[in-house]
Amino acid sequence: MSMMNFVREDLRTAVAGGATAVDVLRESCILVTGGTGFVGKWLAELVAFLNDEHGFNIRLLLLSRNPHTLDIHAPHLLCRKDISLVAKDVRSVMDIPEDVEWIIHAAGTPDNRIHASDPLRVMQVIAHGTGAVLEAASRLPRLQRVLNISSGLVYGPQPLSVSNVAETVFSGINCASVQTIYAEANRFGESICAAYRNLQRLPIVTARPFAFIGPYQHLDRPWAINNFIRDSLMGGPIRILGDGGKVRSYMYAADMAWWMLSILARGRSGTIYNVGSPSGITLKTLAEKILRITGDSQPIQVNLSHDFSAKRSIFVPDVSLAEKAFGLGLTMDIDTAIRRTIHWHREFTTLK
Amino acid sequence: MPKILISDPTLRDGNHAVKHQLTAKQIAAYASAAEAAHIPIIEVGHGNGLGASSLQVGESLHDDATLLEAARKHLVKTKLGVHVMPGFATISKDIKLAMDIGVDVFRVGSHCTEADITQRHIGFIRNKGKEVYGALMMSHMASKEVLAEEAYKMQSYGADGVMLYDSAGALLPDDVEEKVRELVARLNIEVGFHAHNNLGMGIANSIAAVKAGATILDGTACGFGAGAGNTQLEVLVAVLEKMGYSTGIDFYKLLDACDLADREILSVIPRISSISIVSALAGVFSGFSKHVERISKEYDVDPREVFFELGLRKVVAGQEDLILEVAAALAGKEKRCA
Repeated sequence: MSMMNFVREDLRTAVAGGATAVDVLRESCILVTGGTGFVGKWLAELVAFLNDEHGFNIRLLLLSRNPHTLDIHAPHLLCRKDISLVAKDVRSVMDIPEDVEWIIHAAGTPDNRIHASDPLRVMQVIAHGTGAVLEAASRLPRLQRVLNISSGLVYGPQPLSVSNVAETVFSGINCASVQTIYAEANRFGESICAAYRNLQRLPIVTARPFAFIGPYQHLDRPWAINNFIRDSLMGGPIRILGDGGKVRSYMYAADMAWWMLSILARGRSGTIYNVGSPSGITLKTLAEKILRITGDSQPIQVNLSHDFSAKRSIFVPDVSLAEKAFGLGLTMDIDTAIRRTIHWHREFTTLK
Repeated sequence: MPKILISDPTLRDGNHAVKHQLTAKQIAAYASAAEAAHIPIIEVGHGNGLGASSLQVGESLHDDATLLEAARKHLVKTKLGVHVMPGFATISKDIKLAMDIGVDVFRVGSHCTEADITQRHIGFIRNKGKEVYGALMMSHMASKEVLAEEAYKMQSYGADGVMLYDSAGALLPDDVEEKVRELVARLNIEVGFHAHNNLGMGIANSIAAVKAGATILDGTACGFGAGAGNTQLEVLVAVLEKMGYSTGIDFYKLLDACDLADREILSVIPRISSISIVSALAGVFSGFSKHVERISKEYDVDPREVFFELGLRKVVAGQEDLILEVAAALAGKEKRCA
């Protein structure tokens, strides 16, 4: 099976015959910033799927500072006439092609290695990038909507007593720490969106993504599920930093792409929607699931040298707003998501 | 009983004390004794780590492969560790070689304010499924807040733990406790401490670290290490056991290993010389001592003045060539004033 067919199978499941829900996107042109990242690649796959199997005839522009990454990771997307690459740093966007009607602003890296090492660039890409895109968007003659992809981290630490954080629950961020650079920058990005809505009456909707898993997400990314899968696929023990009591949730990539496109097409300007899985799972249980699926016989290594109870954390969204507004749901549970991701990496990537 | 992970760099830090002239035979003998004593990790190599053998910081008697293979043959449960400093060690030339030889544990070190340079090395090692720790060296030169931010970088790169190195032996127990406590509070990974004994604080500082939440400690047989040496391992284990901590080490066998080191490895017994005290007060890396003594003699200047001048210039490991410049400048000044 090819990479394209693998992804198509997932997208058929995610869209589940509901493609007409985004009919407003037919015959239009969409610009995606951060177009060759994880979100961008999946949106490109989804648009290609809608064009090929549902005749949407969408033209997609992927704006990226490193367009060659598409050649490396998804070369089949490069061969398409309906997808074009725009090589540009989002901070220096001056003009957007006049025929663009929809914009998904997904530039900004959630990679916390880069947050720690290059916090200024992280802030500038989000703050200046958002400003540049919205300024250019304000001159578009047929702009229908902008989807700003922010982050679920803007809420601040989720209270342990709250199992699912809703769009209105904020606990505050320590803005004097570099560890919160990404969250602060996204808060500022949302404020810029609010200003452009107010001053220019730009139609802007915001998505706050949580955690995802699936094809096109590299296993060297510094997140628990990626590292667990990598450790297990390499035949080594899964090493959990801490006691495994942290709670996370994971949405499969194909669902993520469908939710994002649905929010772009149908979201109300000024409204914010969480995007992610509402089903929390402890990291220890997650590691056990991965072991069962890979068949790895190595024991899980949990760090019991400290009492980690004070460092417990939870990062799980309440997604009922998007579910009710658009009739969205998760088509892949966590077990299926892990199984598909492992299948992808065994088939198409190398860990050597 | 709380557990402390002991890592023993006798065959790495101790190499500083003998100008990196440890023989394969000495390494094999000590590795064998360490295995018998159930020491969890031993570090082997040039004093400055993989790929560091050079005119600048001293040439090793043997290349890295010979040193590591000599130890590897004698280790079963005891893990083989190496020290890695980006700039000396490269991924393709040194780290891959070490992995091929069977190194289990990597410490990737940088000056305490420059953790950024460890990203690729830590990431590569972690992606290969090996144990990898970050090492913030010369930790007396940064505040607890800065250390915590640098340690956080190492955590984000994939480190299993972060070690604070008192490379100059300049810290006092209160400093250690404050810095370690900050890291323990801010990180989700293990925190450890590596002491030097220039001010006689090796054991006290290590215990202060444990009390602040550190779970990994370094110690060397008979304190064999750069400058005034490291925390004396056999004393450290005795004190930890007395305090109710578990190390998993067979104490009698450890004493045997240390006696063997005393007999067959330690041509130079580490001691707190006047130069060691001065280097700590000046806040200069312990590994500079031998170079400073030699160059000061050549230029006929007071090595203590050289140390204090180096301290004013805030030199760090890897800047050994500045010793010449400082000694020459002091010699010129004395000549002019004569």
